[in-house]
Amino acid sequence: MLGLGIESTAHTFSCAAIEKRGRKGRILSDVRKIFRPDKGKGIHPREASRHHVENSPAVLSQCLKEAGISIKDLDLVSYAAGPGLGPCLRVGAVVARSLASFYKIPIYPVNHAIGHIELGKLLTGAANPLVLLVSGGHTMLLAFLNRQWRVFGETLDITLGQLLDQFGRSIGFASPCGKNIEALALSSSRYVALPYSVKGNDVSFSGLLSATKSAAAKGNLADACYSLQETAFAMISEAVERALSFTGKKELMIVGGVAANKRLSAMLKEACRRHGCNFFVVPIRYAGDCGSQICWTGLLESQVKPGVPIKDAFVTQSWRLDSVRVDY
Amino acid sequence: MKLLKRGAESEIYQATWNDSNAILKIRTPKPYRNSTLDSRIRRHRTIREAQMISRVKSFGVPSPLVYFVNIGDSSILMQEIPGTPVHDLPDSKIIKLSEDIGRLVATLHKNGIMHGDLTTSNFIFYRDRIYIIDFGLSQNSIKPEDHAVDLRLIKEILNSAHAQIMESGWKNFLLGYKSIVGSSRHAQILHLVSEIEGRGRYATVV
Repeated sequence: MLGLGIESTAHTFSCAAIEKRGRKGRILSDVRKIFRPDKGKGIHPREASRHHVENSPAVLSQCLKEAGISIKDLDLVSYAAGPGLGPCLRVGAVVARSLASFYKIPIYPVNHAIGHIELGKLLTGAANPLVLLVSGGHTMLLAFLNRQWRVFGETLDITLGQLLDQFGRSIGFASPCGKNIEALALSSSRYVALPYSVKGNDVSFSGLLSATKSAAAKGNLADACYSLQETAFAMISEAVERALSFTGKKELMIVGGVAANKRLSAMLKEACRRHGCNFFVVPIRYAGDCGSQICWTGLLESQVKPGVPIKDAFVTQSWRLDSVRVDY
Repeated sequence: MKLLKRGAESEIYQATWNDSNAILKIRTPKPYRNSTLDSRIRRHRTIREAQMISRVKSFGVPSPLVYFVNIGDSSILMQEIPGTPVHDLPDSKIIKLSEDIGRLVATLHKNGIMHGDLTTSNFIFYRDRIYIIDFGLSQNSIKPEDHAVDLRLIKEILNSAHAQIMESGWKNFLLGYKSIVGSSRHAQILHLVSEIEGRGRYATVV
């Protein structure tokens, strides 16, 4: 089976081609163009969707060229149908529908968050993991039970990615800010007391964001970055430990853009060691949003379902992953 | 001492106290955590837990007896409750006990305490009674929002770990909860629960 996947939920427009044989998948190509807002600014949905419209033809042709295939070779096309920014989602959906209707290829709407998890499983080999999904759009702890991914803990307000980005932008970094914050945090080891808010298996970051902003305004920026990372990641690690001991899972897998942070991985690795649990982290190149996650999930879906009629190939901005039934 | 369980934030050992079985709960340091933050959390939670375990007994909520507290190594020596965590009981039993659990949680709330970690493994069923444990995240609070956070957590746990009995379990829990706090408070808290859920990521916007 040869699939094409299109990702356009937020800042990234990406196309990827994967060849699936049995349970194995080989990524033939994964091409991305990322919208970069100005320093101190966030993603404006209109600007980002314009970026996607302008770049989609080039990304698609490059993807096919690198994979050495033509559109006619495709067995299916899948696109990220949500959750995400409406105007951005629609760009990917339009490209997918055009290909599907003109070339008569089956089309599959895919949940973006499920995509992170499925691609993570393909690339790390984790079999039955507790999943930590940390990105700009999600901060969730999940385990698979009765044909659905169930939420064992999540943020009650903003996500870890938003926490890092919003703080980073307030001190003048350009989004995504995780890398810059991580680099600056390395130069300090002075801990400033910040609010630590774990509610059962859930976390809340909004108080931490305000407190870090005022700590940065009063004191040293590096100290603020260091303390922010230490506090937020300790909260996540505690939630992970709680979920591990509650579910008894023996594998932890981190996926999503923030999985690229080395300090977070180091802390989680140590937490896993305490629980005799195997630790998997998705390779950095595939941690953030990409076409491969959408393509692979579409290929998995095709094992049990035909594609959807074009009129049902729409987008849903708020599509929670715990409402998706998984039959493959 | 024999290690019984390695929990999320503590190690539980089998111990004795005046010839009776006891449990030693030590909040061990987490080497991955910044040490200032680490000792702040461990100390705070140990004190809080010891206080609350004793306090809740005064209004009839079953909990272990505290024998000895050591702030130095963040440990608590307490009575062993040799029952079964509700989490591990058969589904039909959990459905039945949900109403009692609702009453217990309501009693805590009525007396100005939020538990902060209402998972099904923190209720222990022993000799026809339910004991509540793990008060490390508890708070003195009469705020409806805090009480709603408690309810949301147990709902989340039912929805994930006990998905197949979610509906009947949650219904019985609320029945028990309402019988103690009264219907207007019950309605207020439930409304706040859905408000908190609505604040969640990608919650269905109505």
